Amino acid sequence: MINLEINGKKITANEGDTILRASLNNDIYIPNLCDDKRLRPYGGCRLCIVEVEGQARLMAACSSPAVDGMVIQTETPKLKKYRQTIIELLLVHHPLECPECDKAGECNLQDLAYEYGKPESRFIRSRKTTKSDIRGPLIELTSRRCILCGKCVRICSDHQGRGAIGLIGRGFPTVVQPAFGETLECDYCGQCLDVCPTGAILSKPYKFTARSWFLDEQDSICPFCGVGCTLTLGIREGKILRARGEQGKGVNDGNLCGRGRFGIDYIYSKKRLTTPLIKKGEEFVTASWEEALAHVAKSLTNIIKKYGPAAVGAIGSPRCTNEDNFALNKFIREVVGSDNIESSAAFGYEKVQKVMTAAFGTNNHPVNLESPLGKEIIFAVESDLSVTHPIFGLKILEATREGSRLITADSRETKLTRHSADWLKLMDGTSVALLNGIMHVITEDDLFNKETVTGIANFDTFLASLKEYTPEKTAELTGVPAAKIIETAKALAAAKSRLITLSLSLSENTKGSAAIKAAANLVNLLGEGAESLQIPAEYSNTYGSYNSGLRPDSNKPGKGLKEMLYDSESFLKAIYIMGEDPVINFPNSTAVTEKLKSLDFIVVQDIFLTATAKMADVVFPASSWGEKSGTFTNASSIDQEVLKLVDPTGQSVSDWMILKNLSLTMGSDLGIKKLADIQHELKSYHEKQKAPEGVKAFLTVHHGPAEEIDSRFPFKLVIRDILQHSGSMSTRSKSLDLVISEALLKLNTEDAERLAIRDSSHVKLSSKNGEIYLKAVISEDVPMGTVFVPSHFPYARINTLTQLTPEGDAVIAGVNIEHAGKSS
Amino acid sequence: MSLKVDEIIGVVSSVLDETQKKRGTLIHAFQEIQKEQNYLPEEELVKLSKELDIPMSDVYSTATFYKQFYFTPRGRKIVKVCTGTACHVRGASKVMDALKNEFNVGDGETTEDLAMTLESVGCIGCCGLAPVATINEGIIGEIDSPKLSKMIEDIKED
Ligand code: SF4
Ligand code: SF4
Ligand code: SF4
Ligand code: FES
Ligand code: FES
Repeated sequence: MINLEINGKKITANEGDTILRASLNNDIYIPNLCDDKRLRPYGGCRLCIVEVEGQARLMAACSSPAVDGMVIQTETPKLKKYRQTIIELLLVHHPLECPECDKAGECNLQDLAYEYGKPESRFIRSRKTTKSDIRGPLIELTSRRCILCGKCVRICSDHQGRGAIGLIGRGFPTVVQPAFGETLECDYCGQCLDVCPTGAILSKPYKFTARSWFLDEQDSICPFCGVGCTLTLGIREGKILRARGEQGKGVNDGNLCGRGRFGIDYIYSKKRLTTPLIKKGEEFVTASWEEALAHVAKSLTNIIKKYGPAAVGAIGSPRCTNEDNFALNKFIREVVGSDNIESSAAFGYEKVQKVMTAAFGTNNHPVNLESPLGKEIIFAVESDLSVTHPIFGLKILEATREGSRLITADSRETKLTRHSADWLKLMDGTSVALLNGIMHVITEDDLFNKETVTGIANFDTFLASLKEYTPEKTAELTGVPAAKIIETAKALAAAKSRLITLSLSLSENTKGSAAIKAAANLVNLLGEGAESLQIPAEYSNTYGSYNSGLRPDSNKPGKGLKEMLYDSESFLKAIYIMGEDPVINFPNSTAVTEKLKSLDFIVVQDIFLTATAKMADVVFPASSWGEKSGTFTNASSIDQEVLKLVDPTGQSVSDWMILKNLSLTMGSDLGIKKLADIQHELKSYHEKQKAPEGVKAFLTVHHGPAEEIDSRFPFKLVIRDILQHSGSMSTRSKSLDLVISEALLKLNTEDAERLAIRDSSHVKLSSKNGEIYLKAVISEDVPMGTVFVPSHFPYARINTLTQLTPEGDAVIAGVNIEHAGKSS
Repeated sequence: MSLKVDEIIGVVSSVLDETQKKRGTLIHAFQEIQKEQNYLPEEELVKLSKELDIPMSDVYSTATFYKQFYFTPRGRKIVKVCTGTACHVRGASKVMDALKNEFNVGDGETTEDLAMTLESVGCIGCCGLAPVATINEGIIGEIDSPKLSKMIEDIKED
């Protein structure tokens, strides 16, 4: 800590802070246009000049370090005059088109001109007139308004790790543009849009929808991934018009990815459900709430009478609030009397929790979003965290800038591989073999922590299981050269601190429980604790919903998703599905569809008429994110409030309220009247859940070739997430749809040639479970023999091809590709 | 093209980190490419960006900062007509117009057959000879009608 004086006020600052940082941190504003705390000092605009006692020259506060004992003035007549001149010069070329610029009212340049501007300029030169570049989706570049502060370019390349735009040219005609003046094609994170101090970079969806001073801004939590960013939402006349990040708020501290920034308009999709629906014959007819609730109450009661409560099951949702999920949990247990309940986490995050508990003996494994910082080595295993959890991904990039060595194992180039010191290019689905191979080297060379392993169960069996994974054999299995495997093993063992990170989601099929077990073994072998393995929960409330009772109790005979939807035994007669679309999202959709068809009664409450909802007997319209209050718990276990910001669509009602009303119709009040009652009960439920800690153990796993790849199905089908989407929900966003709206099958150039498949032609994709039709794109990104499809698009029905293993994993499927229309 | 970064920047290399080294070679690489190809073709810049691991936008931004680099093919003969004050007074625009008409190109443009590129430039420092033009390295001063015809012939011959 150092002491200094600014404008007569004594303040303290951190060593290494610039004068500007120190000052802003103490709520003393110094004008600035080119500074951002995420970026290195630039010193371009010179507005931040200050007078420092004992210094003859004026100093740029953003690029001068604060020194102990400094006495600083930020507002003197001299500074005012200088700043006036700078603004005057900036305004020589800047078009004064505030009346039709969306930035007006929140534009730094406008504010500073208001503060320092002169009514008349001494300079007369032509103003810039370049046309706006509106070719790309979502983002509009209007270089004539650019003051060349370079913030957008720097945030994009230095912070976002993308480098999509540059300041092109020199002097007067300089423009902000992608290389060669091509159309902007990038992450669409919109970070450049937030940092631009003028109206040179603006959001297209928000364009001309509201003057900034008419917006009512409120904070809520992003509905997409497990990071749980705080969105500052601009609302006007009962409609959310935009989202932006604000520094100092939330876990994201001003950062946002494109999903959070642009994707929330899914709530305004024309396809939202507006009334309850009851199926009469093959068709749905609209019904009143009373009618629909009475119908469900009667049908469920009859089924319970006839088959007993265990014939009813429920599926909760990582997209719904803790309160919604807890209400479902109470409904199924207290009103129905069944213990059959689970959520999609069964195929994703629940596996992580189970493995972590088995390996480390601890309960609950929140991630620490700051964990990458300060680690000597970060090892990302077959996961692109900058896609699944973009803001966590930014932390990894930040760590590499500060000197951490990033090692990635991935089959294709990702943002993380581009920023890594070492990229182990492995074949899809072989991370278990790679990790075992690494541990083979570590144990053979005696590089593990011998003190700690003795206290960990199963060490000897585990050690024996590694024998076969010699570097040569591992190289053969994974495609990573033996020397690289040895090098990585040695580097990991020698490092003073390390972070091993991966992601696991329902929608990826390259890794399952086994990969997490192998990663946990590595951590245990090196004598590290569970905190060295960071696996963030996938969606906005995956972590919270998992902890709100969405799983069978260990001491009761309840059934989970696997038994309910995949078992041939037919104990289930009715199912209650809240905010989930198993037909689309779960592996082997043919099996799921068959199972659902065999049931007597299906209730779905959702915001859309999903493929599953279409099969229901009754559909309840639920209010979406933004239309109801509650809490989400992010991947780091922080409970965060989500606000009701706008009125519910049509007659939709909050999920918890629907369950409360249904319970009342069935003769129970669930003990809840208002949201606070659930929160209260949930709190004591959580307190009861804290189980004692167990023991650490090694969990022996082996590389299993995914699924038979044979002559009938010779291609490996890899399914992964892409940056612009989160689950299938984001595909309903009009904005995100503008960026990527199609599930394109990526195919290697040589494979395409051999099969005579042209770019953009339609192909039939078949596995032993079924077939689908997709448009193919030819790409160098995928290795020979592998095809790639993003997971998100409901219409693509990609899960028709997938298979669920006994362990509950969706594995790489063997598929065949042929021209659409041709029959085999 | 493979870049030997250390070789290019010599002794300075010991005080720079890897990123700085790579960035430092950009201009040199541009010059090399332009020497060979007469301009900076997009494919070459893309290759350079990959090789040096510098984002394409950054490579392009750097290249466009310098007047000496071109992004479209240039003619075999570069004709520069001085339009500085002295030459202007002595009829530079007539010279310019004549060349534009003859070769059907605008200022800064190249003929379709890549025979010549026409450019107007600021004072080239020999005002005494105004109006002045250059063809590649050669200077032609005191241009009058006969000299202009001769110039056109020179440009046309390969
Ligand atoms: S949206 Fe993001 S990736 Fe695209 S140019 Fe802006 S900062 Fe770069
Ligand atoms: S577009 Fe905006 S952020 Fe980028 S350089 Fe111009 S003024 Fe700065
Ligand atoms: S999707 Fe995730 S990273 Fe993106 S804004 Fe939302 S919470 Fe943040
Ligand atoms: S903020 Fe200091 S020079 Fe721009
Ligand atoms: S003005 Fe033409 S040479 Fe000086």
